[in-house]
Amino acid sequence: MKRIITAVAVGALTLAAAGCSASGASTSNAGADFPKNGKSVELLVSFSPGGPVDTAARLIQPVLEKELGTNVEVVNKPGAGGQIGYTSLANAKPDGYTIGAVGSPSIVVIPMDEARGAAFKREDLQPLARQVVDPMVIAVQADSKYKNLKDLLEDSKAKPGSINATTTGQMGGEHFAIAQINEATGAELSPVHFSEGASQASTAFLGKHVDVLVGNISEVIDLQKQGKAKVLGVMDKERAEVLPDVPTFSEEGYDVVAATARGYAAPAGLPEDVAKKLEAALQAAIEDESVVSKMDNLGLTTSYQDSAEYGKFWTKQEADYKKVLPLVQAK
Amino acid sequence: MSNDATGSSVPSGRWPLLIGQAVIALIGLYALLGSLKLGLGSALGPGAGFFPAVLGIFLMVLAVLWFLQGRATPTEQTEAESFDGAQVGAVILSLVILAAALPFLGFQLSVFAFLMYHLGFRARIGWVKAVVISLCGSVGVFYLFTTVLHVSLPVATLLPLSMIGI
Amino acid sequence: MDVLNELMMGFAEAMTWQNLLFAFVGCLLGTVIGVLPGIGPVAGIALLIPLTLNLDPAGSIIMLCAIFYGTTYGGTITSVLLNTPGEAASAITAIDGYQMTKVGRAGVALTIAAVGSFIGGTIATVGLVLAAKPLGSLGLLIGPPEFFALVVVGISLLVALAGRSMVRALISGALGLLISMIGIDPVMGAPRFTFGMDRLLDGVSFVAVIVGIFGLSEILSYRPGKNQTVTQTPGLRALLPTRTDWKRSTPAFARGTGIGFAMGLIPGMTGSVSSLLSYGAEKKFSKYRNELGRGAIEGVAGPETANNAHANGALIPLFTLGIPASPTIAVLMGAFLQQGLTPGPTLFAEHSTLAWTIIASLFIGNVLLLVLNVPLVGLWTSILKVPYPILAGLILMFMVVGAYTINFSVFDVFVMIIFGLVGLGLRRLDIPLAPMVLTLVLGPLMERSLRESLDISHGSFSIFFDRPITMVLLLIALVIVCSPLLKLRKPAALVAEDPES
Repeated sequence: MKRIITAVAVGALTLAAAGCSASGASTSNAGADFPKNGKSVELLVSFSPGGPVDTAARLIQPVLEKELGTNVEVVNKPGAGGQIGYTSLANAKPDGYTIGAVGSPSIVVIPMDEARGAAFKREDLQPLARQVVDPMVIAVQADSKYKNLKDLLEDSKAKPGSINATTTGQMGGEHFAIAQINEATGAELSPVHFSEGASQASTAFLGKHVDVLVGNISEVIDLQKQGKAKVLGVMDKERAEVLPDVPTFSEEGYDVVAATARGYAAPAGLPEDVAKKLEAALQAAIEDESVVSKMDNLGLTTSYQDSAEYGKFWTKQEADYKKVLPLVQAK
Repeated sequence: MSNDATGSSVPSGRWPLLIGQAVIALIGLYALLGSLKLGLGSALGPGAGFFPAVLGIFLMVLAVLWFLQGRATPTEQTEAESFDGAQVGAVILSLVILAAALPFLGFQLSVFAFLMYHLGFRARIGWVKAVVISLCGSVGVFYLFTTVLHVSLPVATLLPLSMIGI
Repeated sequence: MDVLNELMMGFAEAMTWQNLLFAFVGCLLGTVIGVLPGIGPVAGIALLIPLTLNLDPAGSIIMLCAIFYGTTYGGTITSVLLNTPGEAASAITAIDGYQMTKVGRAGVALTIAAVGSFIGGTIATVGLVLAAKPLGSLGLLIGPPEFFALVVVGISLLVALAGRSMVRALISGALGLLISMIGIDPVMGAPRFTFGMDRLLDGVSFVAVIVGIFGLSEILSYRPGKNQTVTQTPGLRALLPTRTDWKRSTPAFARGTGIGFAMGLIPGMTGSVSSLLSYGAEKKFSKYRNELGRGAIEGVAGPETANNAHANGALIPLFTLGIPASPTIAVLMGAFLQQGLTPGPTLFAEHSTLAWTIIASLFIGNVLLLVLNVPLVGLWTSILKVPYPILAGLILMFMVVGAYTINFSVFDVFVMIIFGLVGLGLRRLDIPLAPMVLTLVLGPLMERSLRESLDISHGSFSIFFDRPITMVLLLIALVIVCSPLLKLRKPAALVAEDPES
């Protein structure tokens, strides 16, 4: 078992159970027979296939099918940095047949920014379980002239705005990470938004269309193995177990900590029975031994939280990101 | 798309064409106005309203061009299809009623009625045959999808019907 | 040759009788399910995943591939026979496929589609075996600006789809682009043209739109007594393509394979882009381009070859880079993950035998698709023996089911009805439908890649002119757009020979 620290890296996505009282009262007795025979559960992934959110969802899919006793379909609805999928999740009927894989900070930040005109509020979603917390890293091309973090950031200071770095959409975790780096170090990395998700970002990085990849540990681990990327720094308090040679930002003298958490959520107002069943099934799937070990292989360390804790986690993130929101808003 | 536009169906008068052109110009105008509200963009590149605005203007220009073209060659032979108003009305109306009824009456009952209307009443294939086919198409398809394929179809929500689980 | 040896080992692993049986069952079930409305490859595979859970990696992946091929082909069957495309990739096939059905050549269309899929799939898989590495890095050359330029090339094919009136084709294309913009803006997140309806935030569903403008408007424009020839049942001999059919299909197979394979290499392209571009290419370059839209075999052969070549070509980025290039490939990637395998170059290093077994099973899947579906063509076309009024009623019911199951909501049924009326209006005004489908698919890709490119260049449009590949692609688009202008000066004598006039 990997250390808990690493586990933090895997994304957790659930919403606080606490805040979700609002809408579903009318369906109070609907939960007893959930899931009805022959009705499949749709697992919405708000990012394109191949990214870490999608990967984790596809890994738990069969266990979830077994636990719930019905089909679970993973459906990708990428775009607008997750907003399209989140909106459709929040607008779905709270009957348990639509759940979604969500990533924070995007899930808490998108409804916070008025300029985005998001058609849902955080309270429209109810957290079910957190699966992983995945720290951010910064990486450059394997043959890059930058040998370490300092090289890169100093050069960026010298040529403000000319070095591009990937994100998975405006106000996604990567966008915040870049803003935090710029704020803390005086560098000026310029974000390029790949609003469909991490797989587009790493494709553009692999094609050398963007010099710097800002992403999660799970995304770079395979690239590093193939010798296609050089990871310069981890935005975490401690080094990552899977990347023992990569220094943290604070070791290099920069105070930047950032991570993406991923988990699962449902439209708010699930009947209690249904929520319980889903939470139990998700817990079983997330903590399933074979799932955990497959996740470990991908650099995703499981860090389960139940719905209540995950909700609190969300609330805390909301407060944290409110402070840094101006950094990523359009000038 | 069908081959039947051999000439017998040449539109009488140019009114339908003119109306079509006007509608397209109006769609263009709507897109333009709507996109102005969205913001055309900043120095950093086009915004959410940029493409729709361009398209709106483009559509209006095209509609005008088309109109002028039509005036230049009023006898232009088109492949435009005419249609049978009764067929369109019957199909559309029955579909709208079906779609509206689905959430209340459930798939089996509303589709049965829908098929009976089309097979028994409109196509007049004989009542026995119509009932058998409609049953297969409603109840049969329902069970095929829900129990065999695990794809859910709507069930009735109105009280007496929902009790028996149709 | 090492590669050949390893591939042979793969075949040895894959060709156990159990695996063949799994593949056979998967392909058959896949086809049957693919014919049903609302169940495309993604849902079909999700449905059948439980069947594969207890198999060993090779067996389960073979079965998944077979299911995938089967469901894709199932979608083609409904496009051709009923003019109701089940999924985006076979939408364009409906245009000429259904026209062929109307003149009793449905069997030919289906046979050619199966053969085209086989050829496209097999050649793309050969490409995967021979040159996965270099081809994989070729796909990476396509960054956002190149992607944008490529989409522009696709949109420029509009002029090829124009038929006789460029203005009307452009209107159709512009309407398609506008429709594709309904919903949340893919970059900034602003809702556009949603008329205040939450359901539209997600955009209008592509399948509901195409089922409406093709299938429903076809039924709406039915006139009793006029369409007597509609959906003739083909005689036994008419099931098989004639020598002319084969001869005419061959160049379309070649172009389809080329386009599909090349597009498959590019992460982010979907199979429907390939089939649309291939249709556009046929319209532009085929010797019989004037017959397209009226039941030309090229209109089936090209797109069907292209989408299967695409599907197999898309495995190259998966195997060499670990990037699933399209939703269907993502499902396959899910299967890898289930088995604890990371798709990517490490797969060949760490699980070499298995990787080659999977490649071998792709070949097997393609062969099965052919040997299973060609004999079944007769069975499928017998659907047409049902008298038209009955068939029409049942098709309407199936279209409602298909639209409903997209999001399990009646909303999409209404979307389909509205687009049925739109399609009818467009037919009435003689506005071609193909350009609209083309731009509907390409619109979002264009907008997104433009935004990404401008992010990279910090807002400067010069990025499109100082990158050689982008430049070349844009020039190609320009040439395509200008080509009809050149044709204007075609001597009158040539015009007279035009079979169309």
